[in-house]
Amino acid sequence: MRERIDLAPILKDTVATAYCDLVTRPTGVTVRQRVEALIAASPHPTAQLDFGSIGLLDFSCADEIVAKLLLNHADDRPRFLVLVNVTEAQREALDHVLENHRLTVVALSNDGARPSVLGWRTPDLLAAFDTVIRIGPGDAGRVADALGWTVERAADALQSLALRRLVQAASGTYCPLPLS
Amino acid sequence: MIHVAAVPATFDDRGLDQFAQELGQWPPPERLLVDARGTTWASPYGLVALLTLGQAIRELELPKPRLAVPDSDDTRSYWGRVGFFHHAVEYFDVVGKIPRRGGDAPTETLLPVTRIAGAEDVHEVVGRLQEGATRILTSELKLEAKATMGFAMALSEACQNIVEHAGTGGWVAAQTYLWRRRLGRKVAVIAVSDAGIGFRRSLEPLEAKKVGDRWGDGAALESALLHGVSRFRIAGRGQGLAGIKRYLLRWHGKVSIRSGTARLSVLPDWDDDVPLAEHLPMFPGSQVQITIPAQEASGR
Repeated sequence: MRERIDLAPILKDTVATAYCDLVTRPTGVTVRQRVEALIAASPHPTAQLDFGSIGLLDFSCADEIVAKLLLNHADDRPRFLVLVNVTEAQREALDHVLENHRLTVVALSNDGARPSVLGWRTPDLLAAFDTVIRIGPGDAGRVADALGWTVERAADALQSLALRRLVQAASGTYCPLPLS
Repeated sequence: MIHVAAVPATFDDRGLDQFAQELGQWPPPERLLVDARGTTWASPYGLVALLTLGQAIRELELPKPRLAVPDSDDTRSYWGRVGFFHHAVEYFDVVGKIPRRGGDAPTETLLPVTRIAGAEDVHEVVGRLQEGATRILTSELKLEAKATMGFAMALSEACQNIVEHAGTGGWVAAQTYLWRRRLGRKVAVIAVSDAGIGFRRSLEPLEAKKVGDRWGDGAALESALLHGVSRFRIAGRGQGLAGIKRYLLRWHGKVSIRSGTARLSVLPDWDDDVPLAEHLPMFPGSQVQITIPAQEASGR
């Protein structure tokens, strides 16, 4: 289950502008606070931030909204974040700011491509993520078989994915986040 | 007494150093006459710098300077159509006939001279640039959609620098033109200027001790542009200029920042400017110029 949060109406409520661009830090702060309130009120562990009607996303807003959401998440219960309908230009801004913070997030682009990881990543992290997406829920042994790795290597990569909240982990099983 | 400062015939980023020399002592001890009668061409950078001068003088509560407008009808008309005089009359006693505002902005104008005072202004200029300039950037400069978005992003971050760091308002303008001699190609240029405290004063509390004897305008610019230092001690700050730099490296563009008595540039291979120029004549505030060249057909 997931909470879908459309950023465009939040932006419209935040700034009196005819345009739909997420720019400037003050705008980013206000939008993030609204998003945080919606996430806090949601019963669902996963929130999807929908960039579908957003034009430009600048570095400042990418930092204030996405990076700070990832940094600020409370630890009282597991929370997961997925970005959806992200354009290529938005991905570049997000990649840049998340790499600087050594943060990562799952994103779905607006062209229907497979989910991907934005921000800081290692080859093992990416390979394990792609495998979980491809084969579905499984344990370290299953991922190790799929990749031809040792179980220890797969377990390390899956643990890293779980700590970064790129997959859900329960009793040794790792599941993709709800993406639809 | 009045001090006459002549505006160069060609007034661009290089011409600003010459103009700052003409200004002499800063702040000016006498009333200024800014003499643009012999000026035949000004880049967006030149125009926003002139407004910055007027604004800085007003904020110092000095006598309102006079501005003698260009003799050339074409130049006056152009300055009028890009919105320069609309703002200039607020800061200068204008000497000479100026065209009534009206008429379309010249076709090469991506963004007329626009005041930036708050975050809403940044939203407005970014939206207007994308609305009006995308066609020019893609058809004339052969920029990919991704690069035009990057151009708007660079504009946004440069303007935010005013809002967040200058402590006062500023100006932005953007335009395309043909750099026949310097590059042999068209370029798109964003010029941003403010009359604020400048990079040195903005970063001084945080950086001066660390840098030591070398501390000054040049070192402050290096801290901000090369090392991503921000006056805000919060993780993630300072990413705006870093983002601009990354975008420009990718698209072979140039960013140049002048503040006080120094100018620092991140240079592409087509430019022969020096990376760091220090001990320049003082000019108030900070001036940023971002230049993106038309992409060559064989490029990407």
